[in-house]
Amino acid sequence: MPDPANNSEILRALKSAMPFQMVPDNLIQEIAGICTQQSYDSGQKIYDLGDVADDVFIVVSGSVQHVLSTQTDAGKHEKTMRGGDVFGWAAVLEGQSTRLAVTVSIEPTQVLRINGKGLIQVFKSEPAVGDVVMTRFATLINREFYVPRSIADQVPSFKQALGASSLQGSEVTTMALTVYRISTWIKSPRPYLMLIGFAFFLGFWMLSVEVWQLPRFVDMPGPTEVFTEWFSEDPYYGLSVYTPEYYKHIGISLRRIAFAFFLATGLGVPLGLFLGWSKTFREFIFPLFEVLRPIPVLAWVPLAIIIFSGSETPVVFLTFLASFFATTLNTMLGVESIDESYSRAAYCLGASRWQTFVHVVIPGAMPYIFTGLQISIGVAWFSLVAGEMVSGQYGLGYVINTAYMMIEYPKIIIGMITLGVVGYTTSAMVRMMGDYLMQWRVRELALGDN
Amino acid sequence: MSAVINENAGSLDDVTDGAISIKDVVKIYDPDGAAVMAVDHCSIEIPAGEICMIVGPSGCGKTTLLNAIAGFHGITSGSIHLDGELLCGPQKPQAEPGSDRIVVFQNGALFPWKTNLDNIAFGPMMAGKMSKAEIYEKARGMMADAGLSGTENNYPGEVSSGLRRRVEIVRALMNDPKVLLFDEPYRALDSLTKSVMHEALLEIYYRNKVTIFFITHDLEEAIFLGHRLIIMSSRPCKPKKIVEVDIPHPRDYSVLTSTRFREIMNEAKDVVHEEAQKAFEAGEKEG
Repeated sequence: MPDPANNSEILRALKSAMPFQMVPDNLIQEIAGICTQQSYDSGQKIYDLGDVADDVFIVVSGSVQHVLSTQTDAGKHEKTMRGGDVFGWAAVLEGQSTRLAVTVSIEPTQVLRINGKGLIQVFKSEPAVGDVVMTRFATLINREFYVPRSIADQVPSFKQALGASSLQGSEVTTMALTVYRISTWIKSPRPYLMLIGFAFFLGFWMLSVEVWQLPRFVDMPGPTEVFTEWFSEDPYYGLSVYTPEYYKHIGISLRRIAFAFFLATGLGVPLGLFLGWSKTFREFIFPLFEVLRPIPVLAWVPLAIIIFSGSETPVVFLTFLASFFATTLNTMLGVESIDESYSRAAYCLGASRWQTFVHVVIPGAMPYIFTGLQISIGVAWFSLVAGEMVSGQYGLGYVINTAYMMIEYPKIIIGMITLGVVGYTTSAMVRMMGDYLMQWRVRELALGDN
Repeated sequence: MSAVINENAGSLDDVTDGAISIKDVVKIYDPDGAAVMAVDHCSIEIPAGEICMIVGPSGCGKTTLLNAIAGFHGITSGSIHLDGELLCGPQKPQAEPGSDRIVVFQNGALFPWKTNLDNIAFGPMMAGKMSKAEIYEKARGMMADAGLSGTENNYPGEVSSGLRRRVEIVRALMNDPKVLLFDEPYRALDSLTKSVMHEALLEIYYRNKVTIFFITHDLEEAIFLGHRLIIMSSRPCKPKKIVEVDIPHPRDYSVLTSTRFREIMNEAKDVVHEEAQKAFEAGEKEG
């Protein structure tokens, strides 16, 4: 039976340790029951690498030098533990019976020792609490040492087998998340279904054109012809992955897209933000905007050619136009979608109208803005090809159109597939940019997956 | 808990700021010609540092009153003073929102795009009176006091809803407000989390005495937390009965089973039930 003064000191020390802060009092009492106090002199070794891992330690006073074994692959090996810090967590890891670190007290130090097996027993009686403590433990280990998931995964779980839930509460880095996503993706049926989908399409194309030679498909080039031409060092129609010409077309299309997309984003996002933010401004601009928006890009072609000189500017203008409307509209919707309590909270906390705009409206609209940019890059390619078919020299739309007129049919298909690949890549880049800028959302969604 | 909190925890003697005086406030909504009276000649005096629980059925107009104090919308007549200074009244129908009165919202309004630490640092950052380093130091200190260490760099979406509520309260307290306005903040929480949140709120309150204007329809919550219950009549909203909760602070969850708690519960229950009934019937008629 511990004396009461001593007991309250143990309780205080336990409560000061991050993983135990949420533990209810009755359980803390129980844990206190399996605690012992111990003092170490300056320079005394507490445990060494490979020692039997029996107890978890909480520093009450003083400080301890904790050096993690290099075999753990941790990002950080040395740490000084002070009051409230927890170390010796090998004692509760699953499948870990020996110490992973060397610990030495740097000054006269008081610690609390909790028997690891006893602790796990206590938590088995209260699995819900146990899981909270262990999640916090995992976070702690992860944050303080940047240890790989393999060790954090050894943290026991009481409710269910630890799997996806180990992600929860720990610091999810972008890199770890990507690796995690790719590994679950490969394990899921999705990539195989995707391959089957492609195979079906290619099979249908091959059968209908090359094997069955269906009547309407007579002039259509088959996959064999297209791919032979596409990867030929000496292409019959002069366009393959080996000809510089091919890259010139891609490059010029990309340059036009980049120009138009950045211009549309640079003008559309601010305009959308102000349309959503200021009622007066919206009344003034929005009706005009709504009348112009439904006009198809193709209808602008003659005007674009009349207004802009040369062959380059009309194409860029047409590409810009569709992107601009998509970006502006989505940004405006984004501002309108923001929950009013966010801006109210900002005003309450003393933010001015402008500060609220910068810290609430812009980040709050960000998810919609990026949805808008995804649409924007898609319609940009659409209008680009339309523009390139009418005016302009070079570019993938130009390739398709001239190949049609010159009866070089395989070139049409090469142009189309290239458009698909390049278009997909640019839209993936926009999505990655969005994920990068909205870490909060990526992390939220990662947790939502569980 | 008793080791940390001193004997003086429940006393309001040392609190000087944050007295709210609501006088004869009327709020009439007039959305499409059909005037609806949300608040009817409502007068409430709240001494500095009191936890004042406003109890009433959902949709009775409690939030209208809270929004008027916070400055989110105006009042039709009457006046509201904070420490003798006019917030809104005949000449000035709408109060300015400000960091002396901070709202903790029903669904939580932590900015999901800022980390917990940046959320907490938000108010002082906007005010710009302290250096960035000072603000973060204060924020980390307050997080540690509230048991939030270790979640500084997490986004609100990554932590439990109970933890989020605590972050939100700490964010408010960073600005040294005179009044905290709670708009049914624990409504969506399960009863277990709720009980943890109540104790956590009291613990925070004992450390930072501010006036608390707390809206709820949960009678148990009201009695457990409050110095005083103001039971509101439904539509239009005005005080119907005031119940003093003379259970001494600091309180913990053992008071829930005490005789006095049951007595107060019984005293308040009938009035609340009657109002809930009225609100329900009014809803039926409208529907």
